[in-house]
Amino acid sequence: MKKRFILLLLPLAMFGADLNPKMQEYMSQLESKAKQENPSFSGFNYTRGEKIFTSTHIGKRGKPISCTSCHTTDLTQKGKNIHTGKILSPISPLVNPKSMAKVKNVKKWLKRNFKDVYNRVGTAQEKGDVIVYITTKK
Amino acid sequence: MKNLKILLVASILGAIAISYAVADDDGYSKNYKNKNSKYQVSPVKNSLYKEECASCHFGYQAGLLPKRSWEKLMEPKELENHFGDDASVDEKTRLTLLSYLTKNAADSKGNRSRLSKKLDSKISRYSTPIAISETRYFKREHDEIPRRLIVQEDVKSIANCVACHTTAQKGYYGERDIKIPNYGRWDD
Repeated sequence: MKKRFILLLLPLAMFGADLNPKMQEYMSQLESKAKQENPSFSGFNYTRGEKIFTSTHIGKRGKPISCTSCHTTDLTQKGKNIHTGKILSPISPLVNPKSMAKVKNVKKWLKRNFKDVYNRVGTAQEKGDVIVYITTKK
Repeated sequence: MKNLKILLVASILGAIAISYAVADDDGYSKNYKNKNSKYQVSPVKNSLYKEECASCHFGYQAGLLPKRSWEKLMEPKELENHFGDDASVDEKTRLTLLSYLTKNAADSKGNRSRLSKKLDSKISRYSTPIAISETRYFKREHDEIPRRLIVQEDVKSIANCVACHTTAQKGYYGERDIKIPNYGRWDD
């Protein structure tokens, strides 16, 4: 019972703590959209976000790829674009305050990278879930 | 006392040398006094371009492709499938980037780089390459490099200029600055 209670509270707590006001506003927008898309939606979820980020899919190039292919599983470390070799600054805002800070950039990368990895755009729920994961993963 | 004098003279000379180096801050490295070098293109100075394009790959200088190439590359449909990846940007960003690229393209009016001219002159007027590595001049310049050195982890592909051209960021592609990972200097 206690465990379940904590699990319910966890996403909410994460939400407020790490995101700037503009990003929180974006999260609220995603939340209402997620409710529209899925009536049983009950808040964004770290575990679902983790699965989105770490699972492998057939991407845009028709080959298996995961978010971690470039960003690695340690989000506080630098990543590397697997196609171009370009070094990426850490995606975790815990060590890179520029990451997940501008709504415009977050939208852009979610659109691009969902297509790269999932070969489709992400749903509002998926976007929110993965943002929760990226912003709070230690 | 004599030592002190020497020290004083040395530090004055040092200060003069430093001020000269600092004064030469025009985007080109102080090592490349000769802007008309055969292997120099104008470096990228646009912050939007750096942010939007060079966050995924090496920031290719606008002077490496002609206008028509940038126009084709920057079409919305092209950007959605940009060498296999989705690189779409919002319309305002796209137009700003396109304007920067065409204004500084290899065949643009103000571009006096000999490397730009050389690249451009070797492209057929009837073709519109969107990859610099597809151009004839580029291919000829790189045709002797063994494949294993290109596909190796530290380089990944022929499109990763800066992996071997250590001063590519400054727009300098001369041979003296080539250093191929796990191989060393390249002497033609």
